[in-house]
Amino acid sequence: MSFLKLDIQLFAHHKGQGSTSNGRDSAGRRLGAKVADGQTATAGSIIYRQRGTKIFPGVNVKRGSDDTLFATVTGVVKYERVGKDKTQVSCYPTAE
Amino acid sequence: MIKVIISVKNNNIVKINILGHADYDDYGKDIVCSSASSIMTTTVNAILMFDKNYISYSQKKDDFAIIVRENNEIVANLLNNMINLLRELERDYPKNIKIEEEN
Repeated sequence: MSFLKLDIQLFAHHKGQGSTSNGRDSAGRRLGAKVADGQTATAGSIIYRQRGTKIFPGVNVKRGSDDTLFATVTGVVKYERVGKDKTQVSCYPTAE
Repeated sequence: MIKVIISVKNNNIVKINILGHADYDDYGKDIVCSSASSIMTTTVNAILMFDKNYISYSQKKDDFAIIVRENNEIVANLLNNMINLLRELERDYPKNIKIEEEN
């Protein structure tokens, strides 16, 4: 019979380092700009997805119920500074 | 909880089973487990130092067994010393170790 090797955790439970009940997250909402500055947007198309008004609706742009900004005419998209720290997005019809 | 079952026949210890886990703390920090392990390992190795045929041991999952093959004063004293120490541990940590005797 060989000698026993000393294992001072022989009668310890092999629990992991403790479990966490975290580790869940929702899928990303893909917010942000859908049409860049200088690009053309068609009437009714979405320009900017957001929560709250990071960007404000400007000329020919309206805000949906979920704060989404969309063009009301076909034209060129412009992001403009308003006041000290605000931004608005407008859509200027291209000359036909 | 660690369960220590002492099998006695004609006033002689014939077998000791040490079952389960202390569950005092996480692995690596379980002081009750380390005490019980150290007491048991020291006793087994001490007996084997005298004679490797006095006892044998087996280790299955969560069940460590010491089988007495030759009962003499040395084996009896060392095993009783181990049991006394485990009883002291039981007195301090009754939720984590329990000693039972069966005939």
